[in-house]
Amino acid sequence: MAATLRNVTTYDLKLAAPLAAGFVVFFVTPLVILLALSFQTDPQGGRFGLTQYVNFLGDSFSLGVLGSTLWLGVKVTALTLLLGYPVAWLHQRSPGWAKGLIMLLVLLPLLTSVVVRTFAWVVILGRQGIVNASLLGLGLIDTPLKLLYTESGVVMALAQVQMPLMVLPLITALSRIDPNLADASSVLGAGHWRTFRKVILPLSLPGIIAGCLLTYAAAITAFITQSLIGGGQMLFMPMYIYQQASTLQNWPFAAAISVIFLVAVLVVVSVFNVLGRLSRGYTNA
Amino acid sequence: MLLTRRTLMQTALTLGAMHAFPGLTWAQARPLVFATFTGSWEEAHKAVLVPAFRKATGNADMVLDPMLSVDQIAKVNAAKTNPPIDVMLHDPGPALQAIAQDLVEPYPVEKSAYYKDLIPEAQVPMGPSPFFQVVGITYNPETVKTPPTSWADLWKPEFKGRVGITNLNSTLGTGFMVELAKMHGGSESNIDPAFKALEALRPSLAAVAANPGQLATLFQQGQIDISPGNFNAIQILKARGVPVEFVIPKEGAIAFKTTIHIVKNSPNKELAFKLIEAALSPEVQAQLMEEPFLIVPTNTKVAIKGELAKTLAKDHAEIAKKFVFQDWAKINEQRSAWIERFNREIRV
Repeated sequence: MAATLRNVTTYDLKLAAPLAAGFVVFFVTPLVILLALSFQTDPQGGRFGLTQYVNFLGDSFSLGVLGSTLWLGVKVTALTLLLGYPVAWLHQRSPGWAKGLIMLLVLLPLLTSVVVRTFAWVVILGRQGIVNASLLGLGLIDTPLKLLYTESGVVMALAQVQMPLMVLPLITALSRIDPNLADASSVLGAGHWRTFRKVILPLSLPGIIAGCLLTYAAAITAFITQSLIGGGQMLFMPMYIYQQASTLQNWPFAAAISVIFLVAVLVVVSVFNVLGRLSRGYTNA
Repeated sequence: MLLTRRTLMQTALTLGAMHAFPGLTWAQARPLVFATFTGSWEEAHKAVLVPAFRKATGNADMVLDPMLSVDQIAKVNAAKTNPPIDVMLHDPGPALQAIAQDLVEPYPVEKSAYYKDLIPEAQVPMGPSPFFQVVGITYNPETVKTPPTSWADLWKPEFKGRVGITNLNSTLGTGFMVELAKMHGGSESNIDPAFKALEALRPSLAAVAANPGQLATLFQQGQIDISPGNFNAIQILKARGVPVEFVIPKEGAIAFKTTIHIVKNSPNKELAFKLIEAALSPEVQAQLMEEPFLIVPTNTKVAIKGELAKTLAKDHAEIAKKFVFQDWAKINEQRSAWIERFNREIRV
């Protein structure tokens, strides 16, 4: 009888088989095909080689597009963190009913499509938009400012669109912090600022890192917001890939750009992961 | 036949499966799939072309599947032997790509009742043109008091910061570039003058739209007051009450043939032919010429009337005079190089 007893500490791998099969069919296989395609030297098919990669990596313009896309992500992430942290902080410090309200306000944008939210920004930033109309009305400017089709416009719109991705992990991290710690800190003579810098901020680091990771990944791949607010003259990686694949039907080059973009994002993600591991050590110390 | 429990079960299961997955039965006879363009074209085809096709075929099954030309090519390319589309609609650039990639059948011209009545530009053996798109200057009549008369008006100093164009991803943007080149002594194979002219236009540009649809938004937002624009796109804006007008510049309007093709290996070739015939017929074209569609007919048996006669051309002879058709075979040869150059040089 004892011999047939199941060892409950090991899991039956067969249970994971359907998910694994799904991953292989819908994720791994397309990725392998993409990779194979990127090594084709010619859109018409034919020989394999590194031509597409050489074309991209040897071209300062293409590298510039990659660089500006990654840099755009940094700016958007920094802005969302700057604006999102106080919101999460407020949520943590509010009474129950206000907590619900803040949560609703954070979640509400998620219930609207990105396209709608982006179009709202087109209306807000336009020449006759809310910002320009009020500035003109107050007599602060004579001619409408150019806000739409600028990089700062893209950063603002993306920051708002991706805000929930930053605030939600922050709220989770902040609510895990024992409120007694802050009290203990002030009892020991630390002011609010010092308590925040020495206790709250380090303890919320996992939330900050998770939020930054999500916002960053979403911001650099946000095709719709980038092209609607940025217009046709600002080129970021998603539009570059679309242009090569769809308009020019140059699939091998599009595939190579995608692979390079994927690798670049993976590098950034692993940097975040390393930071996350360091922060865990820091918070436990 | 012996009625056993097993055969009964089999029949019941098959019937059940067919009910649950209707796609199974389509393997033999799926409805005709017509890939039209999105937006106004889809509306026009749903309202006029589809009913005409149903009447001509005794209510044959058909589906409209609206998408961009390039997406149609990608879809058919992905399943060449069993294409998911039977009839494709293409702008001139993608049409040549589709033909070069061997995705379309030659049109059975000798069987067609209407082919010979089409204007010469519309008679394309690999897929005739049921209509074409007309590009001229669009402007906001509230802010632009004297109507523009030439493409050169976009460079006028009073429009500084008010001009919109689209990038070269679109047929509209590319066609405009070729016209620019021609104005300054270039051609389909010599685009340099266009880039020089665009360089001079840069201070005037309020926006480079990512696609022609975005131009409409820009007019609505008051972001731009003047731009090259598509005649039919303007009609939608006008119908919504946006102040916008269309003029043909004295250099002539740029016309893009939109061609309609039978997809190679389509299981519905006969129906596909009938749909295209309906699209070429004078009845359908005359109906599409009226409000709110205002689509330019290519069948010479259709007398041009109404708004079209007023703003565009009063007959087909005038069309031949006022409309400029570009050489897209030449354009396609270098289009990717132009797009690349535009990416690099035109940053506002």
